[in-house]
Amino acid sequence: MAATRADTLQSVELADGVEIRLRVAGLAARSMAYTLDLLLRLLIYLVMFFVFMLLVMPSIGKELTTGLFLLFLFFMEWFYNVFFEAGAKGATPGQRSMKLRVMSVTGGPVTFAQAVMRNFLRVVDFMPGLYLTGIVCMLFTKRFQRLGDLVANTVVTYVETPPVKQPDVRVQAERRAPMQVLTREEQAALLQFIERAPHWADERRMELAAIAEPLTGARGVDGLRKLCGMALWLQDPEGKKEEPPPLKSPPLFIS
Amino acid sequence: MTPAQFEKNIEPRWQRLEKLLQNVEQGKAGQDAVELPAVFRQVCHDLSVAQHRMSPQRITQRLNGLAIRAYRVLERRGAGGWETFIRLFAVDFPRAVRAEWKLFWWCTALFYLPAVLLAAITPSHPEWAMALLGPEQMIMIESMYGESSTPSDYVRDNFGSSFAAFCFYIWNNVGIDFKTFAGGMLGGVGALFVLLFNAFYLGAVFGYVHYSGNPLTLYTWVIAHGAPELTGIVISAMAGLRVGLTVLSPGRLSRRDALVLSGRKALPLLTGAAVLTSLAAVLEGFWSPLDLGAPVKFSVGALCWLAVGGFLFLGGRERLK
Repeated sequence: MAATRADTLQSVELADGVEIRLRVAGLAARSMAYTLDLLLRLLIYLVMFFVFMLLVMPSIGKELTTGLFLLFLFFMEWFYNVFFEAGAKGATPGQRSMKLRVMSVTGGPVTFAQAVMRNFLRVVDFMPGLYLTGIVCMLFTKRFQRLGDLVANTVVTYVETPPVKQPDVRVQAERRAPMQVLTREEQAALLQFIERAPHWADERRMELAAIAEPLTGARGVDGLRKLCGMALWLQDPEGKKEEPPPLKSPPLFIS
Repeated sequence: MTPAQFEKNIEPRWQRLEKLLQNVEQGKAGQDAVELPAVFRQVCHDLSVAQHRMSPQRITQRLNGLAIRAYRVLERRGAGGWETFIRLFAVDFPRAVRAEWKLFWWCTALFYLPAVLLAAITPSHPEWAMALLGPEQMIMIESMYGESSTPSDYVRDNFGSSFAAFCFYIWNNVGIDFKTFAGGMLGGVGALFVLLFNAFYLGAVFGYVHYSGNPLTLYTWVIAHGAPELTGIVISAMAGLRVGLTVLSPGRLSRRDALVLSGRKALPLLTGAAVLTSLAAVLEGFWSPLDLGAPVKFSVGALCWLAVGGFLFLGGRERLK
């Protein structure tokens, strides 16, 4: 059975042979970034309008000023995003504030040509209004790509944040071997569970542990306890760690 | 090796990479930046091992993030500056046009045939052109190219107004090129629409001037800048159609791959169209309003057409040894 994924991580193999995982950004974050950029652009237009009117016009005359302002409009309309996305950060100011970034699907930075393609095609993505075409297209592609992204072969991802230091939590459960052979994916899921469970509420832990009922054969606290025990066994199958035997009915997680 | 030992072993490597990356990203790469590729490969190796051993997420996530950052730094290359741009226009662009010669001639025919047809029938059946232009446009055309107008009516001798006109043509016409290209993405419909609309409009204007105006005023005005401008609009439609036709029939590739490839093919065309239209803006802003007399205007105009045609046909060919 092809497991349906619960996250938006996309695996990409780099030219160096290693597989990296990209966290693809969804509609909400990208819309926020776009709105921020829109506001910033309006602000720039406004400021530049007054600069042209009050400072440039008196010194070089009306016609030259009109011309320069039209050139400025042209470059802002077509090259604002291109300039920032092809730059070192790979993100416009709006995208940066939402911790987003444009990348090539291959995992590398965006080239100038790719930035041009994805941004010029905004015209179609915008049709018939409010980026409707782009949004529909994003919902039907697994990497949330709009038409411009598809042609330019780009993807918008979250910037990696360094993992936060998490408090050390001891799990008080009896180590036990799983009663059946687990596949690698299942083992990975169990290991991730034990790593993240300390940071959830009890209800959430129980809810997720209930999914593994076929494995543990129990529900509720009992199922959770057994599941944690199996995860502990997977972390350290040979039991080299010296641990005090758990108390009769201890709290499961101790920080 | 226990997981704890593994974690301890790899720590100096990723810390080293993090430090190197920080320096490079802040633009103060020192002598030790040469180590970056080697350290990057080691960390990639560590990441693979960590993934295989299902190490805790704090390790894999950190290594994953570092690998992405380092790859971006290593793979980053500048846009190539003016040299690349000039090469894109002077070499890749005419080659791309010739590589798609069938598409080029289709677009050319779709543009000029309706225009010439409409212009030819207008003197005897002006109602078509009149319906297309509407009363306001007709009044404007008569005031600009009417029977009493002469070629020297449009002389501008002031640099400012010529510059303003030039900037307006850049903003408007190059923008139209880009929109035409983007419209092509919809199965070519948008690009075709712009192409045909402009063809009929152009035909109507020319026909109407022949019907009720002084054609000499019009021809001396448009002959020179028309060469790059009309070619520019034809080629931007061609770039759009290149992508649009790929959407319709991707051939042997998957639609996704075919689209990416068609985008790469369209880029030199789009660049060329934009540069041609910009050149047209220069001519329209600074050359066309000069008061030089019809013979000069017509010979320079003919030269412009020859230059554009010759460039598309001969430009970017390998020299024979």
